[in-house]
Amino acid sequence: MSDARPAVEQVQAAFTQAITEVCAAHGIPMLRVKKQDLPTVAHFLHTNPGFRGSLSLLWAVDHRPREARYELCYLFTLAEHKDWLLLVTDLHGDEREFPSITPHLHAAKWYEREIRDLFGLIPVGHPDLRRLVRHEHWPKGSYPLKKDFPWDRVLGRVQGEYAFRKIHGEGIFEVPVGPIHAGIIEPGHFRFSVAGEPIMQLEVRHFWKHRGVEKLFEQQQLNEAVPLSERVSGDTSVGHSLAYCQAVETLQGVEVSPRARYLRTLFLELERLHNHIGDVGAICNDTAYALAHAHCGRMKEQLMQLNDRLTGSRFLRGVNCVGGVALDLSGLQLAQVEVELNALEQDFSAIEKIVFANASLTERLENTGILTESIAWDHAVIGVVGRASGIDRDLRRDRPFAAYDMLQPKVAFYRYGDVRARMRVRLDEIHESIRLIREVRRSLPLGRLVSQPMHQPQPGAWALSAVEGWRGEILYVVMAGDAGLIHRCKVRDPSFVNWPAIQWAALGNIVPDFPLINKSFNLSYAGNDL
Amino acid sequence: MFRILKKSLQTGVVTGQHPAGAAPSEPLSQDAIEKAKPFRRSLTIREVDTGSCNACEMEMNALANPVYDVERFGVHIAASPRHADALVVTGPVTVNMERALKAVYKATADPKIVIALGDCAIHCGMFKGSYAVTGPVDRHIPVDVRISGCPPRPAEILAVLEGLRQEPATSKT
Ligand code: SF4
Repeated sequence: MSDARPAVEQVQAAFTQAITEVCAAHGIPMLRVKKQDLPTVAHFLHTNPGFRGSLSLLWAVDHRPREARYELCYLFTLAEHKDWLLLVTDLHGDEREFPSITPHLHAAKWYEREIRDLFGLIPVGHPDLRRLVRHEHWPKGSYPLKKDFPWDRVLGRVQGEYAFRKIHGEGIFEVPVGPIHAGIIEPGHFRFSVAGEPIMQLEVRHFWKHRGVEKLFEQQQLNEAVPLSERVSGDTSVGHSLAYCQAVETLQGVEVSPRARYLRTLFLELERLHNHIGDVGAICNDTAYALAHAHCGRMKEQLMQLNDRLTGSRFLRGVNCVGGVALDLSGLQLAQVEVELNALEQDFSAIEKIVFANASLTERLENTGILTESIAWDHAVIGVVGRASGIDRDLRRDRPFAAYDMLQPKVAFYRYGDVRARMRVRLDEIHESIRLIREVRRSLPLGRLVSQPMHQPQPGAWALSAVEGWRGEILYVVMAGDAGLIHRCKVRDPSFVNWPAIQWAALGNIVPDFPLINKSFNLSYAGNDL
Repeated sequence: MFRILKKSLQTGVVTGQHPAGAAPSEPLSQDAIEKAKPFRRSLTIREVDTGSCNACEMEMNALANPVYDVERFGVHIAASPRHADALVVTGPVTVNMERALKAVYKATADPKIVIALGDCAIHCGMFKGSYAVTGPVDRHIPVDVRISGCPPRPAEILAVLEGLRQEPATSKT
């Protein structure tokens, strides 16, 4: 991380009229911008070669009942500084409209539609104002994240149909898939427009699993919402709960002990490991190579059983708590982990050799589902998918959390952006995870597990936290409310960002390759739909 | 080829190498066992996710790995409800999935059994009461078997499926 001050001064100088306030929130420089100037400032940050800002998060807050005001917050990551910069704007009183930045920044597309669906605020100038989260059968005017919407309201059903994008031409037909799929996968709808075999257009329609997670957070106490964060996306229990805990800890001024930070690192890497190994097997399975799938399934199971022995949960639930970690590992347990992982690494390397010696398999991976660097950049793609497409970002290195500042993780990085590259990123990360766990064992300091809060946050105080989960950047914004409750919790799983990009990666590929491309992205539906 | 054989020989058989799961919290009802009678030797399952957190899905998937290898008990996972004898439903039933769940139930050929997997499917779990949730599952379709846990371990799911293969107790005459 470098100092963002020069960047802030430069933006301020370029837009003296537009900026009304400059301040910092927990070390993040924040510019309050007049509503009508937002698109220009955002465009400047995105395109100026000195910043190369990509939109990392866009969220809204309803400040009622304290103030009749909505706040819109745009978080940019400046590639040239590896730093964050926050633009904020307000809608006062009865104002419901704000200017859309989507015409300048593709990455804002789903965020703005989401805000429209959940808050009823209208992004004026947005090219696509169809519903996103609220499917067509939701009654008009039901905006669940508005403060006057009761969390347990029973919704009625109205008639309505979603209008898919159509393309016309001789021999073009549509293939609808989902929401319920053939395998054991989560529900989502894919609409392919094909000419013969090749995909001409893919439209993803999700949010079947919308459970109202963000509203449920608002019913919880700050200290008690960890179990809910573990259930946002079950396969990322550690990543989500860690991001949530860190945000609350910032709010309460908790200094987490080094031992707890090291243990958090260890659990996060264990989670990365079992998911990545499972994914490698699943990718092989979708090329019909059942042997590698069986071996990877066996190794994944071995890791899940290890998790169960260490923590009593195969998904490592219950390890994170606000202030630190809820359980300790003994020296003996750590030694066993290392022995087991050493054997597993050898075991896995042998499978890797078998897989890459199989030309009929590698042929399926190469040049399939290419996501180019420029599309990845336009859509601010992150995580495994980004690192396979030339986006060199990893929070473990760029904004170290937990104990990563002491461990110097190596970041996997490829440019070709096809299924093979995404597989390679995972393979590299598997070895790196095992190395990091060994490193944690070697340097695990002694100390307490849970640290106490310094103070309770004022209502309206908020904090942002970021964790590099196994899929990519997980972001949480937590704002404190009255009487220890949560006023607002914005959850952002990396899947929300990467789903729109899959529509581009599939173009020109044949339909039978889509499951393979989808597996190589392996995005969460639950984390996306919330 | 040699490498593959060597690896397989080194690995040996891993099936069954798992700790025993906890005993099911709700014993199988005689009705359920009776209903499962036609499928005792072969049970084909269609899995339906109605808004789970995806951990329950992962454990269902784990059943197919070489360690649990559910196929050895004649249990298959079907790609279509048309081919299924049983529906395994996970998740609290979201507003958006309600229609799809009912459609799948209708599409499944009779006779059929419905298994609610995980606390969400049984009583909506942490998502109970939310504006976006209309479950639990038995509000919409009749449920025969309940497997609790968050998520239930694969060994526990396996034990319940085993139970369904029992000979039904002969009714007193
Ligand atoms: S029961 Fe638990 S594991 Fe299963 S879907 Fe619900 S929250 Fe997830």
